[in-house]
Amino acid sequence: MSLRNFILGLAASFGAAWLFGVVVPFVKMRNLAPIALNKELDGAEGFFYPKRGGRVSNGSRVYGENGCYVCHTQLVRPTYAGQDLHRPDMGGLQNDPERGDTRRETNAYDFEGEKFAHIGAARIGPDLSNVGRRYEAAVTLKGEGTVEGEFYAHLYDPRRNPVAGNAVCPSHKFLFDEVEVKGQRPKDALPFGGSETTALVPGPDAKALVSYLMSLKKDQPAPASLNFPFADDKKPAAK
Amino acid sequence: MDAATRAGIDRSLRHPVMYLLTSGAAWLVVSVLLAITASIKTHCPTFLEDCGFVSFGRVFPAHINTLVYGWGFPTALGVMIWLMARTTGQKCRAGGTILTATLMWNVGVALGTLGILCGFGTGMPWMEFPRFAWPVLLIAYVAIVVWSFIQFRVREPGRDYVAQWYFLAAMVWFPWISVTANTLVHCVPGHPVMAAGINAWFKSGVIFLFFVPVALGAAYYLGSKLTGRAIPSLTLARLGFWSLAVVAPWAGMQKLAGAPIPVFLPYVGAAATLLLSVPLVIAVVNVLRTIFSSEEKLPSCPALKFTLSGLVAALLLAAVAVLFNLPGSSLWKVQFSLAGYGFDILAVYGVFGFLMFASAYFIVPRLTNREWLCPRMVRIHYFFSVYGIGAIAVGALIGGYVHGSAAEAWMQPWEYVVNELRPFAAVSTFAWSVILFANVFFLIHLVLMWSGLDKVIAARKTDGETTDAEPAAH
Repeated sequence: MSLRNFILGLAASFGAAWLFGVVVPFVKMRNLAPIALNKELDGAEGFFYPKRGGRVSNGSRVYGENGCYVCHTQLVRPTYAGQDLHRPDMGGLQNDPERGDTRRETNAYDFEGEKFAHIGAARIGPDLSNVGRRYEAAVTLKGEGTVEGEFYAHLYDPRRNPVAGNAVCPSHKFLFDEVEVKGQRPKDALPFGGSETTALVPGPDAKALVSYLMSLKKDQPAPASLNFPFADDKKPAAK
Repeated sequence: MDAATRAGIDRSLRHPVMYLLTSGAAWLVVSVLLAITASIKTHCPTFLEDCGFVSFGRVFPAHINTLVYGWGFPTALGVMIWLMARTTGQKCRAGGTILTATLMWNVGVALGTLGILCGFGTGMPWMEFPRFAWPVLLIAYVAIVVWSFIQFRVREPGRDYVAQWYFLAAMVWFPWISVTANTLVHCVPGHPVMAAGINAWFKSGVIFLFFVPVALGAAYYLGSKLTGRAIPSLTLARLGFWSLAVVAPWAGMQKLAGAPIPVFLPYVGAAATLLLSVPLVIAVVNVLRTIFSSEEKLPSCPALKFTLSGLVAALLLAAVAVLFNLPGSSLWKVQFSLAGYGFDILAVYGVFGFLMFASAYFIVPRLTNREWLCPRMVRIHYFFSVYGIGAIAVGALIGGYVHGSAAEAWMQPWEYVVNELRPFAAVSTFAWSVILFANVFFLIHLVLMWSGLDKVIAARKTDGETTDAEPAAH
């Protein structure tokens, strides 16, 4: 076989997959068509506009730099591809005080503002798609503390919460600074650690990361055309 | 080809190939040390917890990236450039360039690893090196492999080997997937989920379009060189090669089954990975037939032992590719479990690694013009590698199934999953320690062979008449 024919053969066999499996889907997904809302089913007209607050871009970077994706995923798969929607509060709150069952699978708009979707490698720890929502619910139930405070405490010492006493999540103490307290304690100081004259405060990366983790909640109602798992009765009738 | 030409080729490549192999072996030791640190942290999370540099989320990517780019690539390049020169009968005329490029590659890997440990990783599996690293590695790569194309182009007619197809293809495929993935992820703004899909495709590509073809090419070469026989079926070899070329580029995106990307992509990926068992089995059968067609009993040599073990690992990889990619039953169970790591390590250390060690045991004595110094060190390297990789692959694959099943048992709280995983984490620590032991000996042996210190030691041994050195095989 001549080198020329060989290279042509490789170009044809690899090129087909490269073009149709990578480049074309990439270009197609760059410009997703806006989703029109259905007045009858969504209660509004116009187009769906995904909303997300917090330091998503910075926080997502810190999430990647510290390897959270090695043990945590961010994907709620549809029921044909896994049991994710059944696990309590993984795909959304099952008993949201205001909206009832808000569980839904991940859609393409959930990663708004991120450069790279941290789908994750393995579930050594629980899925984080709705971790912000879960923490909010837990803080509401406890009736004390703040969501930020709970996240900071987890990052500093994941085994501090007795419910997760056997967790193998690494501590991220190195994202916190010990500062001298002169007068009032800093607002975001951890309630533990430090000494009489010092307090532990989150550094810039910890702040960005916690802001990002708090944004991980799929609580914006998705348009009916994107949301089908538990809403067979709400689906538009086939035309 | 006469002995003088062969010796000339070996002399022209002595330092480039020895540098690639030895620096690769040194990176392997570094990678395994990082693996042990990461693995201890999975069952004892307070181990070194105050130090950000060795936080689990940084050590683990550093371990994988030093394994792939520190050890895997230089070793593959060393073996490929030597085999291409030998099979085309051409001397290497760019030894200095290759040495410089290898140095550049190693500096790139070192800076990339430091980048990960200091918290500048990108967060994309197998592409964690900070952004500056990939162009550096790519330029170094091209500067190392381009000479093999020239050698192939000017070879004398009739010097055709199956190994050459695999090597030339791997040399072309890697830059193509690397440029595509890095450009689309880093340089062109796209959808974040598609970026994750492309990352999964890249990772699968590095395994099945680089490590696996290099391993299979080496297996074809060694199979016929060690026995002195031709490959029994050229048609089968051709079928095996082209089926790999057609199927492998589609594999990878099954990692994103259920994610919001076009639905056909993950399922085509699963089907392609499942079908990759075909080229694997074809190559293994063809090489085994070559080896066992020999009528006289083959002398046991390290290259043969490592080759056979690598072929067994390839069969196991083919079986796992089928068993863990069935969309109806197993894919979603093992998708986010330890099994992914088990599969990677089986492919990289089991299949690729063993065939590279086999090649190194074949090549190094020819390059350095001396026998392996100590058969005992070779035996230690072999047995501990087999036990280590066996424990990791089997532990992570079975553990992956247990893990995946536990995570899918949605009625159970998450603590159940954590507790199910713990024993497999301990197995992994033990297994990596065994592999460390094996490869420290391999590294020492390579350094002794390259530096020529073995002559001094051997002379001393003879003086004191304490030698028990057997004539080393190959």
